Amino acid sequence: MSNEDKSRRAFLKGAAAGAGAIAANAVVPAAQAQAAEPMTMNMPVTDAHGAFFNDDESTTIAAFTERLMPGAPGKPGARNADVLNYIDLALAGAYADLQEFYRHGLNQLDAYCRTTYQRPFARLEEKQQDEIITALETGKAAGFAWPRAQEFFNSIRTHTIEGMFADPIYGGNKDFAGWRLVGFPGAQLFFSKAEIQGKAAFTRAPMTGLKSQAKTPPRRT
Amino acid sequence: MATMKTDVVIVGVGGAGGILAAELSKAGMKVIGLERGPRLKTADFEPHDELRYFQRQDLRPNWKHQPVTWRRNANERAMPMQTLNYGAQAGGGTVHYGALSWRLHEDDFRARSVTIARYGAPAIPVDSSLTDWPLSYADLEPYYDRAEYELGVSGQAGNVQGKKITGGNVFEAPRERDYPLPPLDADQSGLIFNDAAGKLGYHPFSSPRAILSQAYKGRAGCTYCGFCQAFGCHIGAKSSILVTKLPEADASGNFTLITGAMCYRVNSDNSGRATGVSYYGPDGSENAVEADLVILAPFTYDNTRLLLLSKTAKFPNGFANSSGHVGKHFMTHLRARVQIAFDDRHVNIFMGPSAQKHSIDDFNADNFDHSGLGFIRGAQISVSPVALEGGPIGEATMNPPPGVPRWGAGWRDFFAKYYTRHAAIAAQIEDLPYPHQTIDLDPNVRDQWGLPAPRVTYDSRRPNELARTEFMARKLEEIGHATNANLVWRAPETGGAPGGHHMGGTRMGSNPKDSVVNRYSQSWDVPNLFIMGSSTFPTMGSGFNPTLTIQALAYVTSDAIVNRYRRNPGPLV
Repeated sequence: MSNEDKSRRAFLKGAAAGAGAIAANAVVPAAQAQAAEPMTMNMPVTDAHGAFFNDDESTTIAAFTERLMPGAPGKPGARNADVLNYIDLALAGAYADLQEFYRHGLNQLDAYCRTTYQRPFARLEEKQQDEIITALETGKAAGFAWPRAQEFFNSIRTHTIEGMFADPIYGGNKDFAGWRLVGFPGAQLFFSKAEIQGKAAFTRAPMTGLKSQAKTPPRRT
Repeated sequence: MATMKTDVVIVGVGGAGGILAAELSKAGMKVIGLERGPRLKTADFEPHDELRYFQRQDLRPNWKHQPVTWRRNANERAMPMQTLNYGAQAGGGTVHYGALSWRLHEDDFRARSVTIARYGAPAIPVDSSLTDWPLSYADLEPYYDRAEYELGVSGQAGNVQGKKITGGNVFEAPRERDYPLPPLDADQSGLIFNDAAGKLGYHPFSSPRAILSQAYKGRAGCTYCGFCQAFGCHIGAKSSILVTKLPEADASGNFTLITGAMCYRVNSDNSGRATGVSYYGPDGSENAVEADLVILAPFTYDNTRLLLLSKTAKFPNGFANSSGHVGKHFMTHLRARVQIAFDDRHVNIFMGPSAQKHSIDDFNADNFDHSGLGFIRGAQISVSPVALEGGPIGEATMNPPPGVPRWGAGWRDFFAKYYTRHAAIAAQIEDLPYPHQTIDLDPNVRDQWGLPAPRVTYDSRRPNELARTEFMARKLEEIGHATNANLVWRAPETGGAPGGHHMGGTRMGSNPKDSVVNRYSQSWDVPNLFIMGSSTFPTMGSGFNPTLTIQALAYVTSDAIVNRYRRNPGPLV
């Protein structure tokens, strides 16, 4: 096992312990869950609260972000990357000033879903969830005062992208799921002339994260 | 409250202030530099982290605590805006910039005269304050040269003493000698751009950058890691003030840097002479520096803000503002952009020095005939990542092509396929000066020190600017299609918002009645006050990034202070 793998495992272990059952739950790809049973009534109740979100909020955010960035075989999505964990930790720390923004936004979303479909977001069918998200995105969802529907949508979308593609040290992009999806090799410290001029995909290992930065001097040949 | 005495106090030790700190302290003057942020080290910048530095803008002032606000017109309430080039540490914006290092063209210094001579006075919008600079390219050439050699700039010359050189920028003004360092290697996107622009008969070249293409002055050459714009360089190959001029200032023994020091007022006596500055320390304490010479060199907005905050009975409209022009003629680079994406090749835009990798100058300044086009002036056109750095968080900000949604499986599949297969071609478009585009003090928003935020009132959607932008967008599409990309699509318009490279507010001129500083960046009203940076630019010059011109002007000022002002303090003009 390389040092990188060791440190990554140690980190993931820590992250999983910190986030309760979330990490274990998140590895089930959406498509797989869908194949087993209809999504409707069966959304997990195990998106337990983390550092900031309560149980219901966790369940909603996990479902919402998965629709923004759905997983499929060979294509990791928000659950695979543990985007929920990323947003939860961010709201408990760097984005603490957005806590009320999220609380209000989630309350308004819940009210809107119950008015429209008589159910909370996580218990809607995917098609209904997508309709709700579209209504937010286009500002057509009723009952949003602060945050406005579009504002709330844009923030969740931005934070989903961060959770997919930020370094795993921040709690998302689990096992480099986001970076593997798009082919980003992480913070490489040098590229050769052949590499910067090559037309092929860049595949040189390892994909590096902050925890596993090799402290070798940068070089270029 | 602490009070210190010194020969020179410099507020803001960035692209301009860092040069003055080094040159004046080396000349034997006692210099104190005030910097509101920390002084970081090269070791602080490894490893690279896109979330921290690009997304959360760790090297820029936090807009929640140090806001700059923007409104389109006087009827709107201004809201905090994101600022691209603002710095939050010693070295200022040069720590995190893309390091583009351009000289302006000869005609850029006399845009008004040249426009009238070629197209007639009616070609200039009646409400524009387009003007000529009080100095010429020939005046500035030795200082451009000095900046390139002292700091370390890599590029391919296109005009040495009038001799045109293929492969360089054939539109550039004559330079006395070549760049100190050869151009940075082209990457895949640069080669694609070169090929397409060349096919169309344009003149592509490797953009000049203050990034070392090989070892220079004890610093290592670039490793092409791609983390330039928004990041600090992890090996010091970017020629920021941190690794170039601050060590020189330190070695002089005459320079003291005070970090965590937020200047809030320029002090003056009854005669109107500047006597020093007041600043808040990191603990909130009020402190003062008494100095014979006061040099203001923070970012654009803060020059105007400091003058407006320092009004006196003698200067009731702001310190050194008898002209009434402080805060006026605000300008920003407008942008047009297309994205291109390929099915049959990778581009790997995350590699290589990140911003504006290769350029053409064919449609910049007055390098092309504007007859019948309905606008004057132009743009620099270049190939870049969408976000000027190529990580996936930045590139995910691109608008997807028509028909592709912004979220869901459709967006996922688009981004998963094209993240490594796309590039952006962008026009960085000159903006004309208008007196009613302004910076003033926001009556509603205050910063962490309780000072009113600088407020920008600006809307780029004026007829000349809209025509120029649309012309450039079509050029970008033409080049995009010439790359044989499978997808070529435009970025959305900006809604009148300020773009990059904010300039103006303390414009330089030949007449004290219609400008704030003279050609030496010296206040007309207060001879022992110098005001540095792009706030002094009377016009944007062109679509070129301003830093090298800011730095050349700082050398002009340092020479004038050391060789003339010090012996005979007083007006230099």
